[in-house]
Amino acid sequence: MIETIRIGHLLREAVSAPYRNLVTRPTGAAVRSRIEEALARSNCGTAMLDFSGIELVDLSCADEVVAKLLLAGRSACCFVLQGLREDHHEAIDHVLSHHRLAVAAVPPGGCEFRLLGWVPPDAREAFACICDRGPLTASDVSRALGWPEVRSREALRQLALRRLVRPAGELYHPLSTA
Amino acid sequence: MTRVIEVPAHFDDRSFDSFAEGLGEWPPEEKLLFDARGTQWASPYGLIGLLTAGQALAESRREKPLLTVPVADEVKRYWARAGFFQQASELFELHGKVPRATVTGPSDVLLDVTPVRASEDVHSVVDKISEGASRILHGELGLEMKATLRFSMALSEACQNIVEHAGTSGWVAVQAYTFRRRLGRRVVVIAVSDAGVGFRRSLESTHAKRFGERWGDGAALEAALIQGVSRFRDPGRGQGLAFIKRFLDQWEGKISIRSGTARLSIVPPWDEDVPLSERLSFFPGSQVQIIIPAQQERPQ
Repeated sequence: MIETIRIGHLLREAVSAPYRNLVTRPTGAAVRSRIEEALARSNCGTAMLDFSGIELVDLSCADEVVAKLLLAGRSACCFVLQGLREDHHEAIDHVLSHHRLAVAAVPPGGCEFRLLGWVPPDAREAFACICDRGPLTASDVSRALGWPEVRSREALRQLALRRLVRPAGELYHPLSTA
Repeated sequence: MTRVIEVPAHFDDRSFDSFAEGLGEWPPEEKLLFDARGTQWASPYGLIGLLTAGQALAESRREKPLLTVPVADEVKRYWARAGFFQQASELFELHGKVPRATVTGPSDVLLDVTPVRASEDVHSVVDKISEGASRILHGELGLEMKATLRFSMALSEACQNIVEHAGTSGWVAVQAYTFRRRLGRRVVVIAVSDAGVGFRRSLESTHAKRFGERWGDGAALEAALIQGVSRFRDPGRGQGLAFIKRFLDQWEGKISIRSGTARLSIVPPWDEDVPLSERLSFFPGSQVQIIIPAQQERPQ
């Protein structure tokens, strides 16, 4: 199941004002705690954090909302960001790289994932391979990329650890958005 | 006894050190009179630096200082338009005729002199700047559209430093003008100043040991701006200044931070400033200036 959480709504609740800029640490922390509350009530497999309508995301908020949500690891679900603009990518990518974290983002109306933050280069390549071809085993990835199986297994382990793919038995599924 | 502190005729980051020198030992014992009668021009950095002096005196429980306003009408009008007198009237006993602030159409003052006391003020500042910033940065300075958002991010992070670290309130102002002598191009300048504890005291308990005898205002500025450290143990902290520095590199911009007795700058090729100045005259709190110049067309 996918749960969409509209960050713009949470922002308006958090600051009690019609601001469209996600700035400052207290605001970020307030938005994050509302996301956590929503997830605690949900049993979704994927949480889509929808940034549509957000004008600006500064580094403090990118850190408080996205990085700390991933670091806390309180929810068992995978996170996907949507509705991000190019400059949002920059702030989120910057803070996640700093923490050596990563998250998947989809463009508005699109389905092609983009990884923000840091993952080992092999994991990045394996991620693209799974997004492109659908569910794959480690052997499939090895065949597709010409890697020894041990290398594929490690790349997939890194992705699963960061909840960027969904393991089910021998198969690794791409994140779902619909 | 009242001591007269002359406000420099051309009051900006360069003349600020002589202004601080005039203040002498801090906090001053005597009542102060800031004499701006002969001031011909003041940058946003100068204006909010002057307010910071007034704020620091109030917080040191010194007698309310006097301020004689500039004689030149156009200077007074600009100070009024920038919102300076409105804020100064609470900190100084103003002497001289103060004009009413009037706004006629788009202005080079992108953000009036604005107090920053809490996170809500940062929200207001960022909201207020967005439209004008795009007009100036993209329209006049030739920066790419996404520069507007980076600029707002920089402004947000710089203002948050006051709320998070200064231990008191501060001021921000943003203006576009032409750097005739130094650069010969239009620039946008963000100035942020507070009368708080400064970088050294803010970082002392967590980072002084590592620097040993080198620890001081200069080392604290280096730790914050170059090494990206923060007084918080949270590993996500300290990224704001690092990010500002990174995008200023792309635009040949300049950031300089003065705190206590030192000033550290990331100096672009067009400027002749020194990267680190130490043993300056003490001035309370921290003063940040970010300069973004108009982009030059690169040869094909």
